[in-house]
Amino acid sequence: MSLELTLHTSPQVPVEAENISPDKFAGLTIAEIETLSVMHGNEQLTLADFFKVEGQTGAEIHLQGDLSRLKYIGSGMSSGHIHIHGNTGQHLGAAMSGGEILVDGDAGDWVAPDMSGGRIQIKGNAGHMVGSAYRGSPVGILGGEIIIHGDVRNEAGHGMRNGMIVVGGNSGDFTGVDMLAGSIIVLGKLGIRSGAGMKRGSIVTLQAAAMLPTFSYACTYQPTYLRIYMQYLKDSGLAIDEAHISGNYERWSGDAIELNRGEILLYKD
Amino acid sequence: MSENIKTVKNATCTFCGCVCDDMILTVDMDEKRIIKAKNACVLGRAWFSQHTIEDAPAAMIDGQPVSVDEAIEEAAQTLMNARFPITYGLSDTTCEAQRQAVAITDFIKGTIDTTTSVCHGPSGLAFQGIGESTMTLGEVKNRADLVIYWGGNPAESHPRHFTKFTVTAKGMFTPNGKKDRTVVLFDVRRTASTPVADIFVQLKPGKDFEVLWALRALVKGRTIDASIEEETGVSLETLKDLVERMKNCRYGVFFFGMGLTMTRGRHFNSGALLALTTDLNEFTHFVAKPARGHGNVTGADNVLSWQTGYPFGVNFSRGFPRFNPGEFTTVDTLSRGEADAALIIASDPASNFPKAAIDHLRSIPVITLDPKETLTTKLAHVAFRTATYGINTGGTVYRMDDVPISLRPAFESPFPSDEEILTSLKARVHELVLAGKNQQSALKTSTSLNA
Repeated sequence: MSLELTLHTSPQVPVEAENISPDKFAGLTIAEIETLSVMHGNEQLTLADFFKVEGQTGAEIHLQGDLSRLKYIGSGMSSGHIHIHGNTGQHLGAAMSGGEILVDGDAGDWVAPDMSGGRIQIKGNAGHMVGSAYRGSPVGILGGEIIIHGDVRNEAGHGMRNGMIVVGGNSGDFTGVDMLAGSIIVLGKLGIRSGAGMKRGSIVTLQAAAMLPTFSYACTYQPTYLRIYMQYLKDSGLAIDEAHISGNYERWSGDAIELNRGEILLYKD
Repeated sequence: MSENIKTVKNATCTFCGCVCDDMILTVDMDEKRIIKAKNACVLGRAWFSQHTIEDAPAAMIDGQPVSVDEAIEEAAQTLMNARFPITYGLSDTTCEAQRQAVAITDFIKGTIDTTTSVCHGPSGLAFQGIGESTMTLGEVKNRADLVIYWGGNPAESHPRHFTKFTVTAKGMFTPNGKKDRTVVLFDVRRTASTPVADIFVQLKPGKDFEVLWALRALVKGRTIDASIEEETGVSLETLKDLVERMKNCRYGVFFFGMGLTMTRGRHFNSGALLALTTDLNEFTHFVAKPARGHGNVTGADNVLSWQTGYPFGVNFSRGFPRFNPGEFTTVDTLSRGEADAALIIASDPASNFPKAAIDHLRSIPVITLDPKETLTTKLAHVAFRTATYGINTGGTVYRMDDVPISLRPAFESPFPSDEEILTSLKARVHELVLAGKNQQSALKTSTSLNA
């Protein structure tokens, strides 16, 4: 059994729905869940004004309908499952520390900012600032796993301290900018200026990429740890060949302006 | 020309961010127009001569003339009924009017943004991320011996910048003017400013970040490959020479324009330049300043920062200010079709926004305040005609170096000022907010009585 939330009224302006979260639903009856507040622009309404709620409480949450105007779904969640059967809006899983979110469609900007744990999987594309720091904060995600099967836009992994971001398609500019540690794997094309200002961490791509003048070629080798990562991604349903698992990678060190302890690994067949 | 001539000394020109306050205006008081603006540049002369009094209604609703009071009532009702109202513009009005606009947005729980978000907004983000090593233009005039312009054309956008502050101006430690200074210009093409520069560096379009990053690396003593020339169009020798000049100058200054902030990379371009400035302070004194365009866009940043804590893109929908460019900036809220009413003050987004944003602007009620008819006032539901700041009204504006300057109006306008309209609108909105609260508490009381 699951808890089904079906959108019956499309919002006219953006809705902030941080209350759609297993943590907030815990211990509540259906009637109580329906009265949880959401912000429709500047007016406070309830979940029942937009959603039909039915099913079993305490189970996996399923969301139906076009949720591209709903922000902050799964915000701050620490456990449980949310499955979004369509598109979703900005700030998905903001500051989540555990649990899992699965999105069948696309997600808006700021997927999982300030995340510290848990897992997000998006079957479609995502916007700017995936797994990044909020403006004014120097540190992005502290942990967790974000897997996006489609493309992402600029600044994925901005300032990330730990965790893993995987992009099945192409990434935008400044991927892994100012990153402190962690891993970003882009199976498609990496945008320009990747790793600008990075201190440590790894950015991996399977295609040729433009390098900043402050990155220098180190060697070509077969990173052992990458085999484990790639095998795991293959098992997660991403398009990884055997050659990507055991093949050669060029290692570029950078960013020389900072510690020069980060790396960009480029697959070489 | 009539006999009734007045001279206004030390008047202020509010056309560009230089905010020159040494104008001597000759005003024909009968015809209500400025016939001569001594000391003004070509842009200032046009600004003063073209702001005459036009015969037009002070307020209109859907193109029909109405009284100002009726228009204020309609505007207040429109804003109060909106769930995601936005306030935008503000760069061509006084700080006093900007204050009122912040208060209105707070009352209506809306989103406030200024034209900063489409010009130096990226610099605003970079200031927050990197920090700013700042100064006043007077300091530059008196001390700077290395002046670097990046992605701007001041000869045409700020014509008096060179002569008043940065190139030919003679100062305390620069008694010989231009002879005591080295002027460097970075741009992607030759412009009217190029002949002024001692060193002109032409880089390939969209390669600002790479050049700045290479400069940073060289300042920090790292090696850069000679292939940088092929990529950016600037040779390694040129970069090394510039780095030596930057490290060895007495007082260096960067002025950067929209060629840097509005090309690919945006806030990272501004950020790289500010970070380079920080790096250079290990060797000498170096400062950086955006060359701001509109007369009081700097004031808009200052007023918003002082009142809300953030310079632009501020949302009040939950009752407290939140800052998130990309989410709350006007081009984004309009392009995504989110805003459901707009209050636009002294700005013409319908003439320069992306098509999706303008299309959405046409579909929602818009309230405008402008001294002239514009494409935006033409599509407005409620349009106020206001007096021109600096010509008809007094007040305060901020120069591009954050120095506040008072205005001396030349002649009176039959139209109210932005500040007057916004103050009345704020009062009416506040009344409606209080009435709403009373209604709610009355409702609560009656429900509890019934229960």
